[in-house]
Amino acid sequence: MSDAIALPPETVEALATANQAPDKPIKDPVQWAKENLFSTVGNTIQTILFTALLVFILRWLLGLIVSEERDWTAVTTNIRLLFTYNYPGSQYGRIWFSFGAMLTTAMFTVVAFGLRPMVALRKILINTAGLGAFLVLVSVLAPTESFPLRILLAGVVLVAIGAGLLVAIPNAHERMVSFWQMLVGLAVICLIATWLVPWGNNTFANGEVTQIAGTIKASTKNWLTLMVGVTLASFFAARALLAVVPDRVLKGIMLVWWLLGPAFLIFLVLRDPSFDWGYVLSVDIPIALGFGLGGAALLYFLSTPGNESLARTAGLVVLGIGVLTFVLAFRGDLSMLQKVRLSILALGFAALLAPTFSGESRVRMRFALGWLGFILITHWLITGINTPSTLDIAAPPFLGGFMIPLTLGYYVMLASFPMGILMALARTSDMPLFRVMATTYIEGVRGVPLIVILFFFDNLLNLFLPSGMSISKLGGIFVGYTLFSAAYMAENIRGGLQAVRRGQFEASDALGLTTLQRTVFIILPQALRVSIPNLVGQAIATFKETSLVAIIGAFDLLNVARNSIPNQPAFLGHALAPLLFISAVYWVVAYSMSRASRSLETKLGVGAR
Amino acid sequence: MALANQHSRPPLWRDAAVIKWLVQIAVFVVVVGALWFLANVAGTNLADKGFEVNYDFLEGPANIQLGEGIDTVPDTAGRAVWSGMANTLRIAGAGILVSTILGVLVGLARLSSNWLANKVGSVFVETLRNIPVLVQIILWFAIISSLGALTNAESEAGESGPIPGWLYISQKGLSIPRIFYADGFYQFMALLLLLCIPIWFINGSLKAKRDREGGESIAGRVTFGLFLLAAAVAWFANPIMAFLESPLYAIEDLWRSIPQAVMQIVLTAIAAGAAVDFIRRFLNSRRTPAGLAKLTDDDYFRMIFAAVGAMIAALVVWVMWPGLSSWIINSGGDFWGWFGDKFGTDVDGGTRGNRPLDAMKPAINEGRFSNFAPTGLTMTIAFASLFFGLVFYTASFIAEIVRGGVLAVAKGQTEAAAALGLSRSQALRKVILPQAFRIVMPPLGNQYLNLTKNTSLAIAVGYSDVVQVGQTVFNKNNQVLAVLSIWAAFYLVCSLTISFVVNKINARLAIVER
Repeated sequence: MSDAIALPPETVEALATANQAPDKPIKDPVQWAKENLFSTVGNTIQTILFTALLVFILRWLLGLIVSEERDWTAVTTNIRLLFTYNYPGSQYGRIWFSFGAMLTTAMFTVVAFGLRPMVALRKILINTAGLGAFLVLVSVLAPTESFPLRILLAGVVLVAIGAGLLVAIPNAHERMVSFWQMLVGLAVICLIATWLVPWGNNTFANGEVTQIAGTIKASTKNWLTLMVGVTLASFFAARALLAVVPDRVLKGIMLVWWLLGPAFLIFLVLRDPSFDWGYVLSVDIPIALGFGLGGAALLYFLSTPGNESLARTAGLVVLGIGVLTFVLAFRGDLSMLQKVRLSILALGFAALLAPTFSGESRVRMRFALGWLGFILITHWLITGINTPSTLDIAAPPFLGGFMIPLTLGYYVMLASFPMGILMALARTSDMPLFRVMATTYIEGVRGVPLIVILFFFDNLLNLFLPSGMSISKLGGIFVGYTLFSAAYMAENIRGGLQAVRRGQFEASDALGLTTLQRTVFIILPQALRVSIPNLVGQAIATFKETSLVAIIGAFDLLNVARNSIPNQPAFLGHALAPLLFISAVYWVVAYSMSRASRSLETKLGVGAR
Repeated sequence: MALANQHSRPPLWRDAAVIKWLVQIAVFVVVVGALWFLANVAGTNLADKGFEVNYDFLEGPANIQLGEGIDTVPDTAGRAVWSGMANTLRIAGAGILVSTILGVLVGLARLSSNWLANKVGSVFVETLRNIPVLVQIILWFAIISSLGALTNAESEAGESGPIPGWLYISQKGLSIPRIFYADGFYQFMALLLLLCIPIWFINGSLKAKRDREGGESIAGRVTFGLFLLAAAVAWFANPIMAFLESPLYAIEDLWRSIPQAVMQIVLTAIAAGAAVDFIRRFLNSRRTPAGLAKLTDDDYFRMIFAAVGAMIAALVVWVMWPGLSSWIINSGGDFWGWFGDKFGTDVDGGTRGNRPLDAMKPAINEGRFSNFAPTGLTMTIAFASLFFGLVFYTASFIAEIVRGGVLAVAKGQTEAAAALGLSRSQALRKVILPQAFRIVMPPLGNQYLNLTKNTSLAIAVGYSDVVQVGQTVFNKNNQVLAVLSIWAAFYLVCSLTISFVVNKINARLAIVER
């Protein structure tokens, strides 16, 4: 029950915004200050107190950032190390390709789900003026030797633009800026920043830092421009596509791409496996197609109404064969591709599931196609993982820097999802043995810190593997983190399961559904919908906690900032600047994730019932 | 037809109950088999390397120096791990206390009608909860390391600390004056407790009077004043409690004279009594006006579990660990002896001073590597960075919980309180906060759990907590599995304790529904 009371931050936000009045027209600033800052004596005291606090903290923070000892070239020269670690520079186009694919995905998602926020012009102008005022404040407070005139000027210009336009445009609070206008505006700002602002660029070679004045490096500049173009083009392409294709289809495609896109980018783009095409064509593809098509036909037949007992018998027989292949393999009597064995097992389970999906031919067709997709994807993944990479990387693994939080977070969430569902179901089931096992696992894992589990899987996983098998460092971390995350996932999903009302169970029983049908078609969809906000929260937490792999010794963002850069001869001991920088990186990603999910939730009305 | 079918059971392979049990047992066997297989493989692999997992290393020499804690140069590895555990608990306790205070303050700031307070609170929360806690901890470490060095003498030009003699902040950490228990503390507490008895009765009668006659209550203020008076009296008059010395020593002698068998019998009786009591209460809770309710498998499982638990306890006391009883007898004797030492007119090496508390100013030990002297309350750099990182991170979550809790109290409650004529502060104290507290408690408990588990990040900054010490130990002797099991057991016990306490508080706060 305690989970039902625990309010997720999103709910808190909703409660808070529910109490706010709608947008009001512009008020006299003096009037506003009187109402919000000096309404009573207590209020005035608070204002004075918090002003003092703000000045003190801001001054201290600015001191950290602009201090003479802070060497920000440690960050600017090492941007590549921070984001992609040892990825070869000659192959950098692949990184940009992946980045472009992510931007395209974002744009298509925005369009497909209709998340095109309109913002009042007034809000933009006020924020511009506010940013300007903040810059002025910074220039006054910054404890630098020489007065930062440029920051002051920029601030004054921004204030002038914001306030001036606010006064000049008569009905600013009624005018709305649409999403594409904002996008174009942002693109222009990005292009100006890329091509006109003289950031200068640093290179680091042979322990020497060379600084070149001017704009950033041409190679980066070209790619960034291309990315801006890709973003704009994909937005308008998605809009054009939406006019032709129904949004239901586009949404479905986007969901599948969200699940598979990262895997595609990592395996086929960033890793570039060197497929032995002869072998792939003669062995891998026939096996996959055989299992996929043959299995699909079998399952379509088995799920015909009336074939239930046949399906169960067939499922048990196939499952038995699958287990037998494993047993024989351990005795060394049977050599066979591992994925064939796994496919036989999967086919057995699918056949056992067939009665659940028995019904109209449309449902059965979907079930069969689901099997086909499952087989094709798993076979592709298995082949992709087992094929050596063509990339020549100085110090493997090819994942490092910022790519670790991204990929590890993604795969851990993906892999722990089915486990979490199974364990949540086991924990809420009425079968005592399942309940005890699931509860023991969940509470046991939740009682132990992640770092202890990571230590176990980093140091000892290879100990538990039969001789001849081994697993890489990142692989071990992935397994441990997934098992850890699954316990939390199970608790989040259990909260959703408990929110499904009793009547739903009774109604599906009255319809004569089997337990499995009831769970898959009635209970789980409702439960998952309720638990989406919590799952998003867990995704953000997972992303943040990937920083723990730095303790185990993987070279993620944190480890690069804390150990690699301060050990470079040119930046000996300069840890603070890189650390401040990566804090900002983590913050930007986590904060925008939580904002995006919040707007998606309000848009779709998920989480509320 | 239908009636006839009702009584004939379906065939065995179609009976839902049978199938359910078969599936459960099959899955259980598979899981246990898989675990057994893995353990077997690990055993073979270890045997191949000629390595044996055992806990003997705990008795062996440590050769470890801890940064801080109850024992910085431990004799044995076991003692080192024990010190690490104490350090973990120390930082978890301090962190829970301070992050709660800070979190509540920030949460209230976010609820304030003052625009500036509101915004500062929002920025605090949105910034700190979106940066990983490990990054924050390491950032604090880097910030503190970038502070000035500790210079030797106050007379030198580079005088240390913002307030020399009172507050030192440097790259070694920070040091403030320390308040500590002096000789007279226990006598003071004893006298204060004694004086509290009449105050308690006075408080009760004043409250009873108010309930009888109504009107403004002065009970709280009178009690508080009397308590302050009692504390003042006890501060000066504490030596009169010195007579407690001899009765306490007498208790020690009495305790030490208990035979081991008696202690074993008592322990067994306690375990059996607890089990019987649990089962009795459990059955009572299942009793309805219509008689005993039908018991489910789960209910039987609980009762059997209680009985088995008692039997295991008895087995431990008599067979597996007979030393436990004599250990309890000896420790009890030690405790009473230690307690007796705190009373009397003599203290080793002179007469007892009568001051209950004393304070010392921080100082700097000069030398080649100058460091803080132990006179002040010193936060080392490792402790400070871990502490600040954990506190700020956790406080940002607690602030949101507090805000959510207050907002979730229905608006009608505030209006009803106003309609009853309660003032704003009365409404807050007696209507809003008690209800908000009930909503806030479970997620707050979760945050405390998270904070306790996050102390394990100490290893990143070299604070000697149980994980850091454990890692040093297994780096020396390779007993990774043994050390991991100690970690897991320790954190499990901590987590279970915290959730137990939170659940108890929850149960007390819960709305009693009919």
